[in-house]
Amino acid sequence: MSEMTMNEVEIETNQLSSKDRAELEKAQPMWKMVLTQFMDHKLAVAGAVIITLFMLVAIFAGTIQSITDIDPDAQNVGNRYLPPLTTAQVGQDVRETDIERYITENPEAADAVQKALVEKEIVAVAEADAIYELGAKETKEAISALQSLSLKEAAGFISLFKSFETFHLFGTDELGRDVFIRLVYGTRVSMGVGVLVAIASALIGLLIGSIAGFYGGLVDTLLMRVTDALLSLPHIPVLIVIAAIDMSKIPWLKAIISTSNESVFKMIIILCLFSWMSVARLVRGSILSIREREFVLAARTLGAKDSTIIVRHMFPNVIAPMLVAITLGVGESILFEAALSFLGLGIMPPTPSWGNMLNNAQELIYQAPFLAILPGLLIFLTTVSFNYLGDGLQDAIDPKAIRR
Amino acid sequence: MTTFITRRILQTLAVIVILSYVCFYLMSLMPGDPVDMMVASNPKITAEDVARLKSLYGLDQPVYKRYASWMGSIVQGDLGYSRTYRVPVQELMGPRLWNTFLLSAISLILSIAIAVPLGVLSALKPGSKTDYVVNLFSFGGISIPSFWLAIVLIILFAVKFPLLPAGGTQTIGAENMGFWADIKDRSIYLILPVLSLSIQQIGRFSRFTRSTMLEAMRNDFIRTARAKGLSRSTVIWQHGFRNALIPLITILALSFSGLFSGAILTETVFAYQGVGKLVYDSIIGNDYNVAMISFVISVSMVLLMNLVADILYGFADPRISYQ
Repeated sequence: MSEMTMNEVEIETNQLSSKDRAELEKAQPMWKMVLTQFMDHKLAVAGAVIITLFMLVAIFAGTIQSITDIDPDAQNVGNRYLPPLTTAQVGQDVRETDIERYITENPEAADAVQKALVEKEIVAVAEADAIYELGAKETKEAISALQSLSLKEAAGFISLFKSFETFHLFGTDELGRDVFIRLVYGTRVSMGVGVLVAIASALIGLLIGSIAGFYGGLVDTLLMRVTDALLSLPHIPVLIVIAAIDMSKIPWLKAIISTSNESVFKMIIILCLFSWMSVARLVRGSILSIREREFVLAARTLGAKDSTIIVRHMFPNVIAPMLVAITLGVGESILFEAALSFLGLGIMPPTPSWGNMLNNAQELIYQAPFLAILPGLLIFLTTVSFNYLGDGLQDAIDPKAIRR
Repeated sequence: MTTFITRRILQTLAVIVILSYVCFYLMSLMPGDPVDMMVASNPKITAEDVARLKSLYGLDQPVYKRYASWMGSIVQGDLGYSRTYRVPVQELMGPRLWNTFLLSAISLILSIAIAVPLGVLSALKPGSKTDYVVNLFSFGGISIPSFWLAIVLIILFAVKFPLLPAGGTQTIGAENMGFWADIKDRSIYLILPVLSLSIQQIGRFSRFTRSTMLEAMRNDFIRTARAKGLSRSTVIWQHGFRNALIPLITILALSFSGLFSGAILTETVFAYQGVGKLVYDSIIGNDYNVAMISFVISVSMVLLMNLVADILYGFADPRISYQ
């Protein structure tokens, strides 16, 4: 069977021009082979595209905010539970205070506009109340009235009135905050926590796994017992216990953690503590098999130190499977973060994360079911993308995996 | 065999004791102790009273001494008193344990019954349409956040189409309506939690079954069995699947911890009165005794299941010896 295929290939290559032949016989670099393999896995490529998109959203969250001009923390109690794609008007009291502040800051412009408004009989009140009267009207009407004045002083008021009307792509939540911009910032928090935890726990796992694999004996037994014990624990109850504690009661952690970012830091530390085990086992396995190979013996004969052998000669051999483990780890960390934040023990509001946006959504399934859908959908999309990316990488990097 | 089991039981016990100490220590790090809470609810309490109460309850002792006295009373069979529910912990645990057992066992059986055939099916025809669909489904299952799935299920089946209850364990008074009515009532309440808990397990199991089955079917003895003229089903189930079983048992054993973690989330979303919800509620409500006991019990259950899986290996694969 295999011989026949060889012959067929022989015949085919005979028909090729010498140029094509040279092309074929040129050795491909490793990364190119991996890339070609990877591109064959359509869903993995789709996953990579989605992840890149979310990464861009996470990085440019600030830019998105300045373009849309919506504050993620701005509350608007009059406009709670708005459905997606609606325009909201700011409440009357907020308008009046805003107008008052603007008038005291720009008295000349206010004077001119007030005079013009009364002269043109747009409002039928005293000059001092003219702008407030305008504020009580529909925002669109007020803006067109201001524009009809064609005064250069009115420009400031027009932009002020424009800010009274906000467009909510995905509606508003229980405090009247815009869901879209909170999702954007939630992407930054959730993706950030996921990626950081995956990388940090991979490093911990690399350290522990390589020490256990390289030195063997008692060190190995001890480290692997701990690893197995941690692996067999049910994660969520343990994470709940740890998440509920007050970290500042532990003296050495007090220095790192400040109150503003406490919940994010805590989340990263807690998740790292419980996600390094699979990487450690993986690295230990690879190191064990590499340890007896000739190139390690050669390095040792040349007088290389243990650390040199581990870092220079062994690590390059475990990078590929670790890359896969990191990718899969991101998805898992995002799921854990979301679960803990959903229970109210993870990222603390007002910092938005996909998980804590779902926290309140459950109580509101009757008033605003859409609040529960979007954050979960984003978690699902991201996790599935990372899982497919990991799967694709595994197939591409590990030649034994080509068996689909 | 007996020495192996004894050694494993002793190991498991040691792990449980160490973990319970760690948990005890962590609980002492939680903000506020019972006396602090008493002070918060009663402004008339004086500083001397606080000191007297703290020494009365032993809260001024170092952690390891408190742990020792707590462990002492546990060994004597006194599990303590729940401050939230105002009942001894023993009375609280029984029905809760049964509820969680019911939820986890049903969803485990359901997921095995669905996932193993799916995995075998897709492993027999790698690259086919069936394989593709199963693969898509299992990736989706692994990646979906179970608590979100639960919320979506509630929105679908309790809010939009009010067919099933949105949460709870049973209708009040249903236990007096007779045996069958009671069972029917409870199963209606179980449908959504079991569904949301099973999806993730189904994804994980079917993916794993597929890969181990692929591995097993590539062995030389499969070709031999085929060449002998054995029927297709004999080759698949007796020769192939039997060899895929060992790694499968491993993943099943490891899945108990996942199942229990999932049960906490599912029980919280559905307000299902199980141990998982008890762990969560007692930790949030600072109910020390309940939190410690339910935590220790849940961890022990998982560790015991791992032990059972280890013993089961011997029956699945006679090549494994317990030395």
